[in-house]
Amino acid sequence: MTTQAADVLIIGAGATGSLAAMVLAQAGLDVVCLEQGGWVDAGDHPHYSTDWSWQRKTRWNADVNKRHHPDDFPVRTDSSNVLMWNGVGGSTNVYGGIWPRYRPSDFRKGDEHGLQPNWPITYEDLAPFYDRSDRLIGTSGVAGDPAMPPRPPSPTGPLPFTEAARTLADAFDKLGWHWWPPEAAVISEDYDGRPGCNGCGVCSGCARGSMSKYSLSIWPKALAAGARLRIQARVLRIEKGKDGRATGALYLDRTSGRTEFQPARVVLVAGNGVGTPRLLLASDNLANSSDQVGRNLLHHTLTACEFWVDRKIDAHMGYSASMISREFSETDISRGFVNGFQFNCLTSTSSAPEVAAGWLGDAKAPWGRGHHAWFEKHFGHGTGLFAIGDDLPNPNNRVSLDPEARDAEGVPLAKLHYRPGENDRRMMAFQLDRLVEVAKAAGAYEYRLQDYLDTDGVYRTPAWHMIGTCRMGADPETSVVNKWHQTWDVPNLFLMDGSVLATGGVVNPTSTISALALRAAEHIRDNFRELSGLTRPMAA
Amino acid sequence: MRYSAGPVETARLLSALVDTLLPGDESWPSGATVGVQALVAARLVQERGDDAIDNLVDTLGDDAKALLAGDEAARVAAVTAWEAREKDLFGFVCDAAYIAYYENPAVVLAINAHGHPYKLIPHIAGYELPRFDLARDMPKHGRGHFIPTDAVTRVPVETLNLADERTQNWGRKQ
Repeated sequence: MTTQAADVLIIGAGATGSLAAMVLAQAGLDVVCLEQGGWVDAGDHPHYSTDWSWQRKTRWNADVNKRHHPDDFPVRTDSSNVLMWNGVGGSTNVYGGIWPRYRPSDFRKGDEHGLQPNWPITYEDLAPFYDRSDRLIGTSGVAGDPAMPPRPPSPTGPLPFTEAARTLADAFDKLGWHWWPPEAAVISEDYDGRPGCNGCGVCSGCARGSMSKYSLSIWPKALAAGARLRIQARVLRIEKGKDGRATGALYLDRTSGRTEFQPARVVLVAGNGVGTPRLLLASDNLANSSDQVGRNLLHHTLTACEFWVDRKIDAHMGYSASMISREFSETDISRGFVNGFQFNCLTSTSSAPEVAAGWLGDAKAPWGRGHHAWFEKHFGHGTGLFAIGDDLPNPNNRVSLDPEARDAEGVPLAKLHYRPGENDRRMMAFQLDRLVEVAKAAGAYEYRLQDYLDTDGVYRTPAWHMIGTCRMGADPETSVVNKWHQTWDVPNLFLMDGSVLATGGVVNPTSTISALALRAAEHIRDNFRELSGLTRPMAA
Repeated sequence: MRYSAGPVETARLLSALVDTLLPGDESWPSGATVGVQALVAARLVQERGDDAIDNLVDTLGDDAKALLAGDEAARVAAVTAWEAREKDLFGFVCDAAYIAYYENPAVVLAINAHGHPYKLIPHIAGYELPRFDLARDMPKHGRGHFIPTDAVTRVPVETLNLADERTQNWGRKQ
């Protein structure tokens, strides 16, 4: 039996795959989405169990190599903790939903110093899509931050300003530094059929959907519009015809065990910054005439500080982000490095077990007679913050294929290599000094820093952010896709996920990835007729 | 030296171990009182395989005897010695014990008794928090700036010597 060609095949049902499916199906196109995992129901989350803290370390661990879930694909890494989720909704099943935007200068690093490329688009090109994706996804926050371009109000107002936020805001005021209530993909009140946040603090995804889980916020709209979603469908390779166009994808139906081929006129890959380059490389080096596929892996520079104050702040309550600071977000080379960073201020872990066993830093309750006194002194008194910065691209930081090891389906494993460069190390040293200043300004009686260096000096970032590995650009020699996410080599092949980010910015990337996906999907919708027959890329 | 323990002795050993890690006092139950040893044993097997308990007993060696028969000082000395010898296994057991302990309803009651509104499963009903008050909670500092797209200018990056210098001591060791 021959399967009928879809108008659009989307590989991956995560954040960007769901947005693309919604936009294209609503336009009346025949959309098929293949997802290697399954639906993640509320009951699959650990949130309704007494042992949710243990589950966060094991079966609900965001690190693909720690939870050993059959829906995952293996990733070999010499440094990174590989945080992703394979299933409908992708990593939004387990992320934290912090939702700041890129800054205008993030798109112009080529002009600013030349150690990163300019994007082929500007902040102004993307701003309307940020606004619209925020409304689709459901976000909270408060407009008016002088450290960012003007923007419309968030769909729901800011989340509660907790005692942790007050403690941190006072510290930043004392230092004379910027701070602002956080933007979050968390609704502060009922919105779009989902309940507002109840402040539980268990922000490892959100079983009730107050934190936007795209399987609840976007997929219902895509399915209602007629998109066809096939779960347990693991794509093995993308096929290409003699005319240079992608013809569709070969996939394993994990339920029946059969290998199938799904033909399509246009193919979109939305497999995240690791899965997408792996699939292209495993598809006979597809779309890689530039040798850029998999290169320039970005994780952000990341350091952290946990501290404790005498005052009881009970920061286990409330959404996990308490406020943000953009004091150091722009380049100031008097600091000794280019680019900047943001403070993502937290509440605390919502988990008493994690207070005792260790959260951000290396603080941990002693065992024996001193245990309870330590816990009484620390629980309800702690908070913390991350410093997250824009790391420079290095072509040797990359996703590649393991030359020997293959998964059960015969596809080579993904291999990750990442080392921070000189600029990144200088920035992290600077971050750590500033983190100490925050803790001291807050009147901390104790603080602990986290540099994510292991005992051998290897930087092991908890790299939520796996971006830049198929970057967007204006030059086919140094990029993989053009400004519409269209691969330079294969005119009907588009990459939709965080792999296309040309720079990392100083922020959690999912808001930008979502806005970009919405923009690209609308371009494909509006130009489908031309794209479905094109044998050469459209203009850059 | 290998220590051989039968099922009853193994259970007693695990109880003694978690009670040494988490002794009770007037306001906190001990680890064994709330059954921490059962969860630690189950999680050891789940994460480290069928022989994980035998391995634990094995690594305790002669310290197992002190754990079973010694006074508190002897038990503390035994665990201290085991921790020094078996850092990785000790770390797993200690974390598993702490987590199991604070996942227990009786221990959550103890947390509440210390004045903290902590819930064992907070996701169900959440925590009561005051809504964001624009008059009270909005920043009033007026600080912050950004560089608009058309105002981005070249910085003298060559002065940083990024290609020639290599920062070796960074992070907490700086």
